[in-house]
Amino acid sequence: MWKFPEGKAAVLAAAIVLSSGTAASAQDDAGDAAAGEAVFRACAACHAVGEGATNRVGPQLNALFGRTAGGADDYAYSDALVEAGEGGMVWNHETLSTYIADPRGTVPGTKMAFGGIKDDQDMADLLAYLAGFSEGDAAPDDAEASADDEPESGDAAAEAAPAVETESNAAVPVDQRPGPGDHGNFGIGRPASEEEIAAWDIDVRPDGKGLPVGSGTVLDGEQVYFDQCATCHGDFGEGLGRWPVLAGGMGTLEDDRPEKTVGSFWPHVSTVYDYVRRTMPFGNARSLSDDEVYAVTAYVLYLNDIVRDEEFELSNENLADIELPNAGNFIADDRFEEDHYAEKDPCMSDCLDAPAEITMRAQVLDVTPDSGDEGSGGGAID
Amino acid sequence: MSDDDTMAARGRGRRGFLKSGLLGGAALAAGSLTARAEGDPAITEIKDWNRYPGEGVDARPYGTPSQFESEVVRRNVPWLTAESISSVNFTPLHELDGIITPNGLCFERHHAGIAEIDPAEHRLMINGMVDTPLVFTMADLMRFPRENRVYFLECAANSGMEWRGAQLNGCQFTHGMVHCVMYTGVPLKYLLEEAGIKSGAAWLLPEGADASAMTRSVPLDKGLEDCLVAFKMNGEALRPEQGYPLRLVVPGWEGNMWVKWLRRIEVGDKPWAQREETSKYTDLLKGGKTRMHTWEMEVKSVITSPSPQKPIVHGRGRTVIAGLAWSGLGAIDRVDVTIDGGMNWHTARLDGPSFPKALHRFYYEFDWDGSDLLLQSRAIDDQGYVQPTKQELRAARGPNSIYHNNGIQSWHVNAEGAVENVEVS
Repeated sequence: MWKFPEGKAAVLAAAIVLSSGTAASAQDDAGDAAAGEAVFRACAACHAVGEGATNRVGPQLNALFGRTAGGADDYAYSDALVEAGEGGMVWNHETLSTYIADPRGTVPGTKMAFGGIKDDQDMADLLAYLAGFSEGDAAPDDAEASADDEPESGDAAAEAAPAVETESNAAVPVDQRPGPGDHGNFGIGRPASEEEIAAWDIDVRPDGKGLPVGSGTVLDGEQVYFDQCATCHGDFGEGLGRWPVLAGGMGTLEDDRPEKTVGSFWPHVSTVYDYVRRTMPFGNARSLSDDEVYAVTAYVLYLNDIVRDEEFELSNENLADIELPNAGNFIADDRFEEDHYAEKDPCMSDCLDAPAEITMRAQVLDVTPDSGDEGSGGGAID
Repeated sequence: MSDDDTMAARGRGRRGFLKSGLLGGAALAAGSLTARAEGDPAITEIKDWNRYPGEGVDARPYGTPSQFESEVVRRNVPWLTAESISSVNFTPLHELDGIITPNGLCFERHHAGIAEIDPAEHRLMINGMVDTPLVFTMADLMRFPRENRVYFLECAANSGMEWRGAQLNGCQFTHGMVHCVMYTGVPLKYLLEEAGIKSGAAWLLPEGADASAMTRSVPLDKGLEDCLVAFKMNGEALRPEQGYPLRLVVPGWEGNMWVKWLRRIEVGDKPWAQREETSKYTDLLKGGKTRMHTWEMEVKSVITSPSPQKPIVHGRGRTVIAGLAWSGLGAIDRVDVTIDGGMNWHTARLDGPSFPKALHRFYYEFDWDGSDLLLQSRAIDDQGYVQPTKQELRAARGPNSIYHNNGIQSWHVNAEGAVENVEVS
């Protein structure tokens, strides 16, 4: 039996009222569907919506409003969400707002390992966008969307639409514009401030240069991983669908189908830290704290048996000292020393001992798009 | 091949064409018979477009291709990737000619979708081992001296799905991760010198503004030699999917390094070992070693027509083989074509401008006698490198190298003119 958490519902109702009162330029009380399309990018890693949308990591979201929880055809839901649906949970503005804000807190046991959308305006916009793919009664309940009762909040409206900084010179009177800088040959551009450099320069090198001060343990990382990573990478780093495999594959690099993971292939731990920090979780980049990145990096090392102690703490002090097993197997580019590049005058006539024979045909595999019997070929772009 | 051979082939071909026309075997030949008897309706009937005026000048403010060209689009291979946000699609090489790729047909490769960036909010930062870390607006960049240069861009994984064997029927899919446009931009050298490169600096780290924050380590020497910070392609602003408003151009080197949505370049003394230069875009060899920093795209060519998506439909007779050749090390000196799977080779005709590190167009015209063909092309660049066979590459590198597959492509043409991707002995 699914019960809608009362505390959350109350907070949510207030949030919707607030957002409907502040979204001055929105087309309706529910939010701005155009802005919601941008918010949906955080969801698009797993969900499809619109014409031809199919189930992927998550169910397709057409005709979502009014759908019983766990009710998309042919999607393998968690037991928890199916039970919620059987208990009467139907997707509408209220249930979606609560669920999407905190999926695992709302329906414990759901497969949807997404941290949640915390911003009320983002939520309203997202639901307005999704409602556009639902026919019929997708409007928020009157009780929740009584914007008329709420005064416009000038401050909040200003916050919702922050002034965009425009190119510096356009709005500056001529006599107040900066003259040529005293740098370089042309005096073009301006010095970058330390704050600006710090905001963008987050790259980390194998020798540890660039690591922020901080730390995190394997156990801390396990929680971050289950909340943020397991949906795509699997509970054990095995990778779901065609999402990258993170763990295992030791000793497979000479196999026909090598499994290239952090443990079996990657040369440096710094790359894990750098990459997670700049891009993960996919769809919500730069949302993890530096300590959370240490923690989840430690957990990925643990999944690969690089560290074996759950209490192990990874930090800026010890990260660069950890060696990965395959580090010594990377070599410089020596392609041009290969035999076939030796200087030669290619043969022009009577070049073969016997007439050429076909040894392999693409049609045997038949994995070309629109070939009729389209299967899945070998190799992948990742 | 001598001129005498050519004349002899032409003679046979002309007789062959007349014979097929008399038999009425090919659809086209049947059409021309009707035309001879009653007049071709394409000529004898007055067409709507000949009678009624068409749309006015503003009907298509940004011009689009003819409705009859609707099949000429980029296409993807859905099974390749988990989903389309981090994926690739392919240039329809089989439908194009010349050496310039139209902007809307340049293949796409994104690691976190297309960033939609307001140029007024875009900045380029130069930081690291420089005297003065600098920030440029787009307007700032327009005040540096500009250059216009034509380059190909090829993904290191182009033809990667073919590494283990023939798999995809179409040069769009086997070779379509390449395009070639004219870039307008500022030599990176000017921007680096504006900030002042400190002694000991040896590497650059360009970074994108998209949600993948793409980064690659690039040797400083390359940055000073010929890299551009580009804002235009084929005369107009970069397309969003090609990095609008700013991308790095790294001539001749693998496409992943041409960072799109370029927002920062750091100067340093060592490479950064980023994800895309360690776990990806490295070449796993037999024996378990892995080559890294395999930057240059080696000499390569492919016959674009006929090809599986572009069969021969005119029957026997005069036939044009068209193709593309390129090398990340320089210009193309020569392309050879074979129609018998490599027994005998004929030097093709290079046509159009020849720029280093750009696509080159080649043609080989011959009279098809209607028998099976095994077509291949073999390019030679001005550094003397000869395009290798796939067998040679596999022998040298093993089954898992995947990237940098510049092996010779084989197409089988059957008697009906249908074309299949094959490998030959």
